Amino acid sequence: MKEEIQTLRQKALEEIPICKNLKELESLRIKFLGRKSKLSSLLGQIGQLSKEQRPIIGDLLNQTKREIENQISERKDALLLETQKKKIVKQELDISFPGRPIEIGAKHPLFKIWEEIEDIFISLGFEIAEGPEIETEYYNFDALNTPEWHPARNLSDTFYLKNGMLLRTETSPVQIRVMEKYKPPIRIIAPGRCYRNDKPDASHSPVFHQFEALVVDVGITFADLKGTLDSFVKRLFGDKTHSRFRPHFFPFTEPSAEIDILCINCNGKGCKLCKNTGWLEMGGAGMVDPEVLKQVNYDSEKYTGFAFGLGIDRITMLRYGIHDIRILFKNDLRFLQQFV
Amino acid sequence: MKISYNWLKEFVPIDLPIEEFCQKLTMYGIEVENIIHFGDEYENIVVGKIVSVKPHPKSDHLSVCLVDVGENKPLSVICGAPNVKENQNVPLAKIGAMLGDFKIKKAKLRGIESYGVICSEKELGISDDHSGIMVLEGEYNAGTPFAEVLKIDDYVIDVEITPNRPDLLGMIGIAREVAVMLDTKYTTPKIEFNPDMSGKQLTSELLSVEIDDPELCPRYCGRLIKNITVKPSPGWVQTRLKAVGLRPINNIVDITNYILMEYGHPLHAFDYENISENKIIVRRAKDGEKIELLDEQIYTLSSQNLVIADNEKPVALAGIMGGVNSSILSTTKDIVLECACFNPKNIRATSLSLNLESDSSYRFERGMDPNRLEEVIDRTAQLIQLTAGGEICKGIVDVYPKKILPKKVFLRTQRVNHILDTKLQPYTIKSYLLKFEFTIFEKGENFEVTIPTFRPDLEREIDIIEEIARCYGYKNIHSKFSLPRIEDRQKRETIRKIRSHLVNLGFFEVCNLSFASPDVFDKLNLPKDDYRRNIIELANPLGEQFSILRTTLIPDLFSNVALNLSHKLEHFKLFELNNVYFKNENNLPSEQVSLTGVIVGDFVPKYWNSKSQLSSFFDVKGILESLFKILHCTHYISFKKSDEPFYITGQSSDVLLNDVKIGSYGILKKDVLSNFEIKAHAIIFDINVSTLLSHIPHEEIYYKEVIKFPPVLRDIAIIVPQGISVAEIETTINSFNPEIIKNVSLFDVYKGSQIRENHRSLAFSITFQSDKSTLTDKYIDKLFDKIVKKLLKKYKIELRHR
Repeated sequence: MKEEIQTLRQKALEEIPICKNLKELESLRIKFLGRKSKLSSLLGQIGQLSKEQRPIIGDLLNQTKREIENQISERKDALLLETQKKKIVKQELDISFPGRPIEIGAKHPLFKIWEEIEDIFISLGFEIAEGPEIETEYYNFDALNTPEWHPARNLSDTFYLKNGMLLRTETSPVQIRVMEKYKPPIRIIAPGRCYRNDKPDASHSPVFHQFEALVVDVGITFADLKGTLDSFVKRLFGDKTHSRFRPHFFPFTEPSAEIDILCINCNGKGCKLCKNTGWLEMGGAGMVDPEVLKQVNYDSEKYTGFAFGLGIDRITMLRYGIHDIRILFKNDLRFLQQFV
Repeated sequence: MKISYNWLKEFVPIDLPIEEFCQKLTMYGIEVENIIHFGDEYENIVVGKIVSVKPHPKSDHLSVCLVDVGENKPLSVICGAPNVKENQNVPLAKIGAMLGDFKIKKAKLRGIESYGVICSEKELGISDDHSGIMVLEGEYNAGTPFAEVLKIDDYVIDVEITPNRPDLLGMIGIAREVAVMLDTKYTTPKIEFNPDMSGKQLTSELLSVEIDDPELCPRYCGRLIKNITVKPSPGWVQTRLKAVGLRPINNIVDITNYILMEYGHPLHAFDYENISENKIIVRRAKDGEKIELLDEQIYTLSSQNLVIADNEKPVALAGIMGGVNSSILSTTKDIVLECACFNPKNIRATSLSLNLESDSSYRFERGMDPNRLEEVIDRTAQLIQLTAGGEICKGIVDVYPKKILPKKVFLRTQRVNHILDTKLQPYTIKSYLLKFEFTIFEKGENFEVTIPTFRPDLEREIDIIEEIARCYGYKNIHSKFSLPRIEDRQKRETIRKIRSHLVNLGFFEVCNLSFASPDVFDKLNLPKDDYRRNIIELANPLGEQFSILRTTLIPDLFSNVALNLSHKLEHFKLFELNNVYFKNENNLPSEQVSLTGVIVGDFVPKYWNSKSQLSSFFDVKGILESLFKILHCTHYISFKKSDEPFYITGQSSDVLLNDVKIGSYGILKKDVLSNFEIKAHAIIFDINVSTLLSHIPHEEIYYKEVIKFPPVLRDIAIIVPQGISVAEIETTINSFNPEIIKNVSLFDVYKGSQIRENHRSLAFSITFQSDKSTLTDKYIDKLFDKIVKKLLKKYKIELRHR
């Protein structure tokens, strides 16, 4: 009987590891362990053995049974793993295929900068004001203390409408409109579209964009102007740059200044962008002229204020390295797509 | 902390209605959180006179009493107390009264109805006595409110004392602050002992005190009172303690608590007999030393903790809680009173490490005044003698190794006015400083201020300035930095939302100049009287092409399309968000924000597993609908056929907001496109943002409870004659029961051989959901039938299937 068991064992251990699939394995299980298997019938015959033989053969049979069972379960695991592996290989993606394109557009660079400027000033406690682009001479010139003889009033400088009004040449008229309507403290910026009768070229456009800043309160000084402007340019262009003020003339500010910032390209060393001066011209500034305050019935002894105006197009061009202002308004997608 | 209004008024005159007084307190920096009328808890509890007592026929311990409560008829009340007798005056809780959390209702006890409860002292929260009913001594009219009997007509004001103000943790402290607030004077109790009962012995002969660590205990005062009688406190003490939320225990403990609330200073009383060798030592605990405190917990201490000990053992955890081994018992005869000062940091650390807090630790960790201990301990002795008898031994044992001196601060008038933006004169500041009991020494217009030791929170000039500001009144300081609201925030935010949304949907923003050529209107097929021909002309233009201000963004956008098509780009989306300008006779012209967008070529690009899709009318409609969604105005938007002349007839729509036209969209006519040299498929939308802004309802996001009941979906397919719009059918279905019909959506359209001519089959999915219950099939079936019937009747439709 021992030999029979040995042969059976041998056979099982040979056949099980080479079976090819789960179906074959199941038939092998029935063959070796099923009710009609040799092993079952041998187990049934134990009763007929001698008392001494019984436990020995019994042990051997049980051990063999366990061995075959283990063998089957091992093979089963191996086969399952194999199937799974095959499935994975079959379902494997070529991850180099392109993803489904989700189209994304872009804000116009001018408005990107416009929004950024607004956000900086909002964080500095300013409100955003606005005024009309079509203005009267009063708001654009007279109220801003512009002398009758000032060349800005010429047809060659300003667009006039057939109805006698004009297209504002700067955002400064918003100052007057705000001060007429509200009492100090005033702390606004007014971004907007402006017009000058210029033939378009690389640095001139008949339509351009500016923002005006105006602060009026008790105790506002030239030092506040310098600090505010410096805080702004550092937030916009980074901490490496700073501003400087050069005396200048504007009808509605006294003292007036032109603002330069240290060239953001060369940090003042001199380059093509700053024409080797180390400085970039940014706009005009100054303390609000007492005449202007009187014009809006503010007590010019009690209140003082500062104003400045900077070009949004100019800032956009500096920020993105754009050398020709006309590109901004051409709306060529090959240009616009760079601002995604 | 709870303030008893009656108690407070003992020390400071207040002639104000309670609400006004509390309002003032809050504005003065002592925030009132709650005002309760003490005695409300005894509502519906009255004095009852027992008319008769008869045994309950079905019980051997219950009695049936008739009680006169001053009403027409005496009440029948069942009582189980053994001491109930005829003619007694008793507290009777009528129906509706609250005993603790228990509401009295009509009850039936073994077949007999009872209309109230005769109360024990425990039931009334007066003491722990539950041996029988409370019998009232003295004469009362039946029906007298029980609150009157207890003399507890008082207001309890619950206030928040900020952690920097330990001096306000008692009635006298509050009175001092109120006196400043109301510009009046406050008083303190008059302290005198009964001379007939003065002890002859000196305290110092009977008790010695030693401080091992003056850093942790700067001062310790002890007093000895002999031959006291421990018993319940008199009613007035109990009432006050209960008003401020403390439970009466016995006269000795109650008086120390009374002083805690009066002076705000914690005290402790020891049984003299249990202080071994009559010696008190204030020392650090030994590491591992154990003590059982009055909360019946055993604590293991470390050298970081300070204890009060005698020669053998710790008898209290300093400043936090007394020990069981020296506590006052009913048999206690002689007591040691402790009134001391402890280091706040150390008390806090011990309290934290042992997770043990008490009214005492709460005060000591905030800092108690070391220079008032004699007054506090004498006042305590006085009240103990008053309530417990006994002889007060002469003198105090006072160990105070290093006297704590008041701090001095230099205050500048100019600095006060600089911080507060006031113009206070030195004499005004002086009057404020004196109110606060500061000692001042004037130096020109400035002051050297000596701060009393009961104000540990005042250390610097700025602290004094705060006191001056409170005294002056915050409301009297003018407000300076108040900016007028100038900006149109809604406009700015709407423009930004629109811009970001379109960019995220794949649009590129363009920016064109404001000028236009006068011939663009003909190119757009605009009739002669079109509002867009209401133009503004320049007097000195750069040329004919730039001679007017644009009234529409469409022509410029078309130029942009043509330019980009010429660069071999075929599929793209553009928009412009800019001003247009209309003539406005006699006034400034009207400048309006306009939004114009265009989709050229495909809407869905080619992809390796799907085909491209040419942009359609409904792609643009979807974009606009998503835009209205983020602008929260979807519900106010409607669409109707457009007659704009540049669209293909029947393939365009106007957009209306609350029935006002705000724009249009549609597929462009070939001839219009060729006028602008565009050879491509293009669809545009054109919205007047200014009109939209002036008609948009203001709708904030407001969270609605998520519906917990499941939705039920039903589909319906109907055959509808051409000409009846989908929107119309959707509205009809929805209006049937908008509470329950949450959504109606078209999911299939079929036109084919099976459908009659000039008809189409529409399939809708209807979502039913209630926020009140789960909808049953039966309910929905019924509703669904009604909907079908109505549709059949209204539109002569045919039901295809359901």
